[in-house]
Amino acid sequence: MEKVVIIRYAEIHLKGKNRGYFERTFTVNLEKSLKGLRHELHRTSGRYLVEKFPEGMEEEVTRRISRVFGVYSYSVGLLTESDIGEVYRAALLVAPESGTFKVDTHRGNKGYPMTSMEINAHIGGRLLSDRPALRVDVHAPQSTVYIDIREGGKALVFSAFEKGPGGMPVGTAGKGVLLISGGIDSPVAGYMMAKRGMETELLHFHSYPYTSEGAKEKVVELSRILARYSLSATLTTVSVTHIQEEIHKKCAPELNVTLLRRFMFRIAERIAKARGAKALVTGESLGQVASQTMEGLASSNAVVTLPVLRPLIGFDKEEIIARARTIGTYETSVLPYEDCCTVFLPEFPAIKPDLSFIEEEEQKLDVEALLSEALETRERLSL
Amino acid sequence: MIYLDNAATTRPAAGAVAYAETFLREEYFNPSALYGGGFAVRGELEKARAGLLSRLADGETYELVFTSCGTEADGQAIFSCARRGNAVTTAGEHAAVYESFRELKNRGVEPRFAPLNRDGSVNIEALLELVDERTSFVSVMHVNNETGAVNDIEKIAKEVKKRTPSAIFHSDGVQAFGKIPYRLSGAVDLYSVSAHKIGGLKGTGALVKKKQLALRPLVFGGGQERGLRSGTENVFGIVAFARAAAEWGNAEEHLPHVRRLNEMVRGALENVLILSPEEGSPYILTLAAEGLRGEVLQRMLWERGVVVGTGSACSSKSRFSRVLSACGYPERVLDGVLRLSFSPQNTEEEALAASRAVNEVISEFRRKI
Repeated sequence: MEKVVIIRYAEIHLKGKNRGYFERTFTVNLEKSLKGLRHELHRTSGRYLVEKFPEGMEEEVTRRISRVFGVYSYSVGLLTESDIGEVYRAALLVAPESGTFKVDTHRGNKGYPMTSMEINAHIGGRLLSDRPALRVDVHAPQSTVYIDIREGGKALVFSAFEKGPGGMPVGTAGKGVLLISGGIDSPVAGYMMAKRGMETELLHFHSYPYTSEGAKEKVVELSRILARYSLSATLTTVSVTHIQEEIHKKCAPELNVTLLRRFMFRIAERIAKARGAKALVTGESLGQVASQTMEGLASSNAVVTLPVLRPLIGFDKEEIIARARTIGTYETSVLPYEDCCTVFLPEFPAIKPDLSFIEEEEQKLDVEALLSEALETRERLSL
Repeated sequence: MIYLDNAATTRPAAGAVAYAETFLREEYFNPSALYGGGFAVRGELEKARAGLLSRLADGETYELVFTSCGTEADGQAIFSCARRGNAVTTAGEHAAVYESFRELKNRGVEPRFAPLNRDGSVNIEALLELVDERTSFVSVMHVNNETGAVNDIEKIAKEVKKRTPSAIFHSDGVQAFGKIPYRLSGAVDLYSVSAHKIGGLKGTGALVKKKQLALRPLVFGGGQERGLRSGTENVFGIVAFARAAAEWGNAEEHLPHVRRLNEMVRGALENVLILSPEEGSPYILTLAAEGLRGEVLQRMLWERGVVVGTGSACSSKSRFSRVLSACGYPERVLDGVLRLSFSPQNTEEEALAASRAVNEVISEFRRKI
């Protein structure tokens, strides 16, 4: 008898002819999440089993797979010989001491000498006589002992179902470039897209020496936390220091942020195209700050052709914070490193910038030269 | 690299490091061990104690307890002595004292904070007004670490005791030891020092205390440091502390050179507001470039190989220095603070080159915004 983790997957079964592709990606992602931990991963009918991990490591296994998108639910169970005596020994280990329960058997091996109903009655009856505080309730039991009689003389016995993160396996829905700042929102946006199966390349803009090494370290840390879900392997950083200085020197101060964001989007798009990504992803939420008004968003969209995905667009700050806490990025996001130096922030940013005015102001800059100069500062860090 | 952040920490003295190494590699015995090796190490440790104490006070009246840092020495003094009534300190203290005083409130002792003068020294009249018959403890830093202002702790201690003879007087001497000529004369009961500000190693500090004063330990255990500081002694740090202090030498001998460095920089800087008082410690020169960000200037200087400190940082919990705010400066000034702090090893060439670099980054920054 050994402890195993049973993984059930979510929407994959809906995907018809693509099912094989989805399952292969899911397998790879599960393997990535279990990397460094001795184990065997097996796919059986409609579920996966993690077996042969070191004793006492089941919590580590479940912690890791609970971050893999596509996992619908999971259970820690016992893999045992399918003879009824062994199955009962396992049932004793997973069954509660008291309260109401039922036994629910599934027979994958139709040649087994007992039917599902007979197994339910046999195991349930023995549990009742061994544990006098137990009572049977087949309609609304407090706990259920699940028995799965499998091919090859083995059986799985378990009781608790834990809910997984759901979603689609990362990598099954194309690739996007996530603009990640040191704030609360962008890691959550990355999480949301990863949840729908998108592979994300992470891109961060800094303006050293106006921003600190600490601010960059913070983004690296956030990226590492996000990568547990998004499986992103690298973070690209680009310096926008000179762009910021030029905007500050030559353009209307109320457009500082608007203009800078247009540069960021252009750079992101070039990097996206070079890396085969099909979308930009941002953590913008409508109306949250001056640059995230409809006019602000439109002015950024106007300089790119790739779709810009904004999964948080309809979220309140509190909702975003709640998700950031669940993901585990919140505590790092609120570390006090500014990702944009306040010397460049205008006192009164334009809330509804007019596109023709923006374009007029932008004419004062050598956009192309600034872009290629910024792209030269590109660095890739592995996470 | 031109290193002008010596108030944060100094480069460990080569002799001290080499000496420490013999206690890491060869003489690694536990000083409490009862065999020859242990006795020998104990002997070195006591020699270090006596050597350090002799630089600050006479060994008849005072004794020295090793701690893990200046902060621990401050905490040891504060939590041992401020145990009833109220305790008085200044708004200019280092966090080691300031935060400990804030903690006193949770322990039933009322903390009182005296206001500062513009230069960062304590307003003595205001401080004395806070001292009353219920005052059990007073702590006034010797040299302010942010401005270099020197408090006349002897005078303040005597005035305090005139008002409340039972009050115990402590001073945080971390930025003064080895830098400002001073010997404890009896009015000051407790004095904290730190090794790494004078060429010693991080992880070693000491509290000099009057022998007659009974303190309560913060840490209990094997009874080291006469029961005041249990835990196996940090032998290599302690011997390096004593060796570094010996190599550093007397405060008097370095003063003319460091004063000269300070004056040269003051003379060479352009378009800045000097916050440090001229009569303060020459080791610390704090300035403000109004409307600029000190933290950004600091990084621009780092890129040029000049290392300085700053009074405020986007990255610190609060944007402005608590101490400089208490000096009464407006936000425009507080934003742009840089702290240059010297060591006797700095040269005049370095002082000039650093001044030029500061002027350059300030004008470059101003050009850009």
